[in-house]
Amino acid sequence: MAQAGKGKLNYRCPSCFLRDLDIDMFYDKDKKEYYCIRCQYTGSEEDVQEKNQLARFRYRSMLKRYSMEDFEKFED
Amino acid sequence: MEEFIVNIIHRPEMVPEYAEKVTGHGKAEDIGRKALLTESLDIFKTQQEAAHINGLKTTIQMTYASLFNDEAVELAKEHHEKYGDEISLTLLGLPCEEFRAKYKTKDFCIWMFDMETKKSIVDDVFGKFYERFGFYPESTGSYYMDADLTNYIKEKYPSVKCAVATCWEEGPKAYHTCNNSWYTLMDGGPWAPWIPSKQNTHAPAANEAEDSGIVAIPHLSRDLIACYDGNGSNFGTHPQNVLRGMIYKAGEFDAEGNYSGQEYPYLYNLIDQYRYQAKFNNGYAYNMMFVGPGWMNKMGRWEAPYELLRQSYFDGCAYYGQLKKEGKLKDMTMAEFADYYRQKKSYTEPECALWRDILYGSDKQLFWYCDPFMRACVNMNQGGAIVDLRPYVSKLEWKVGIGTDHVQEAGYPFLIQEKYRAGYFTHYAGEGTVRSAKLCYNGEEVDLCQCRTHAHFEEANGERKLILDPVDIEFYDLTVKLQTVIAFPEGGSDIRIERHILEMSNPDAEVSINEYMVACYGITEYPEDMTCITLNAAKDGKNEELQYAYKCRECNVEGADEVSALIPPIHTKVSMTCDNAATGYYREGYAFSPMFTLGYTGAIKDKEVFSTWLKLEKAN
Ligand SMILES: [Zn+2]
Repeated sequence: MAQAGKGKLNYRCPSCFLRDLDIDMFYDKDKKEYYCIRCQYTGSEEDVQEKNQLARFRYRSMLKRYSMEDFEKFED
Repeated sequence: MEEFIVNIIHRPEMVPEYAEKVTGHGKAEDIGRKALLTESLDIFKTQQEAAHINGLKTTIQMTYASLFNDEAVELAKEHHEKYGDEISLTLLGLPCEEFRAKYKTKDFCIWMFDMETKKSIVDDVFGKFYERFGFYPESTGSYYMDADLTNYIKEKYPSVKCAVATCWEEGPKAYHTCNNSWYTLMDGGPWAPWIPSKQNTHAPAANEAEDSGIVAIPHLSRDLIACYDGNGSNFGTHPQNVLRGMIYKAGEFDAEGNYSGQEYPYLYNLIDQYRYQAKFNNGYAYNMMFVGPGWMNKMGRWEAPYELLRQSYFDGCAYYGQLKKEGKLKDMTMAEFADYYRQKKSYTEPECALWRDILYGSDKQLFWYCDPFMRACVNMNQGGAIVDLRPYVSKLEWKVGIGTDHVQEAGYPFLIQEKYRAGYFTHYAGEGTVRSAKLCYNGEEVDLCQCRTHAHFEEANGERKLILDPVDIEFYDLTVKLQTVIAFPEGGSDIRIERHILEMSNPDAEVSINEYMVACYGITEYPEDMTCITLNAAKDGKNEELQYAYKCRECNVEGADEVSALIPPIHTKVSMTCDNAATGYYREGYAFSPMFTLGYTGAIKDKEVFSTWLKLEKAN
């Protein structure tokens, strides 16, 4: 098996991202998969993108635009 | 009239920090690669264009490497003439063939060199700058500037009046995010511009004698909630930080290869919430944007293609440009800002920030306070508990770099830090570090940390005050409506905390109150030796002292004038006093809970106020 290289977009491990770790993954061209060198995650490009989307679950206001009146306005 | 100032800074970095390792993967290291140099300069030109087409001036921070590049030097001169950009000098971007040949090291962070080498590098870099431009710069910077470095620069090159001097809360969290490989350990500093003291960069000067002679600005304006808990490099006024944090909706390429449809309102919310801080700072607010070229390289980064990296930068500049056109923003160079700041601020005027969550969809709110005597964070999500406290009053002389006791560790020590030393909740033993209060009634106990609320800000009679919304404390057969007021008197090194009983369901009831502070000292996540600490309860000139030995002892003194802890390694004495009749106490910790507790217990009835003070003092 040949050595792995970086993928075309420096995909990070989605599993490590969720624990605040930025780990660039390597790409195994024989298996057509990305793999993390720290944890046990492996996945295709599609899987990485899907998991990255999941990683955004905590950003509930990610697409909300606040106005200047909102900064001291709360629900209760 | 409210004023919102932005400093936009660009550096032609010939060997971007990320580019050689990341985009050069699979090639042997060669920092003189022609393609690398060309690409780096192209990124700088692109960044300059993004600012200029939006009517914004920049501060061009020449790197040492770029001073050897004729095109970079000519470009800086041309943009200074044409756009009013300041030609400045950064101590970032040292690596180049000339630097490596002379210093024979791959170190690149100025504060980590030994003092003699720091001086030598500064002289080389400033000397080369003078040789190319015929004058010395008015501003400089790095990710961190230690006090000895700043003092040397100010003495030798007095024209310098402004410097990028720290990254807010960049420390163990950033280190962790990089798999423990990025050694910028420097948290505990101000988040907004300040005048550093001669003794310690983080701690603002209290007077002219302590004034280092420069105005410091933070490296980026960071989210005061998200960066406190998470990786600082995801949440700042740096469009590619926001991409790194995955805080955006990606766009798409069309058939012609144009990229569009991307959305990152978080970046604009962040800028706007900084704008909002003018309300708490006598009409002034500040932003800094400083993107190193490595973040915009052609290979793409953080899952983002180059087109998105580039577009996000143009979008960021366009937003600042739009605010400027609307008369809501003033763009300044660093040197201009230093003059503005000196005229606007006095030494003792604090920096205040009332900050809400704008990312996670919660209603969490924090208040940050910074002056020459302390930095404090009040958490409204925990009933107004103080969850971070740094004793700037001690103006700790803390040398950093090779040959000192702290080669990399440049943070300012804390007494309270809810992330590194737990906070209200711990899995096992008692509280972690926090300053809160407990109310007890008939064997039931409620900690104010359990009462989520919000606050508003007032400034009157020389005090900044946080007025919290009242909370209801429900015991089995008694409900107490309590309001907390936290006051920061300007020019003092103390905080007054008042608990007002607004209402009781049984007006004749009496509840007991325990105002407490659990603290220790530290700078990272790991505990320090506590045996140097002396606890004391003083009354009528008599002291009940205890040398810390992890023995879980305690002492109660009725009517104590003061309870205190003396912490020699950080030259700090912290104490509490009480305005009511109460019993002062201290508690020693033990090995599995290496903290100490200071506090007062007393009784409180309907319509009464229980008032205590937390005081910080320098102690040698
Ligand atoms: Zn992983």
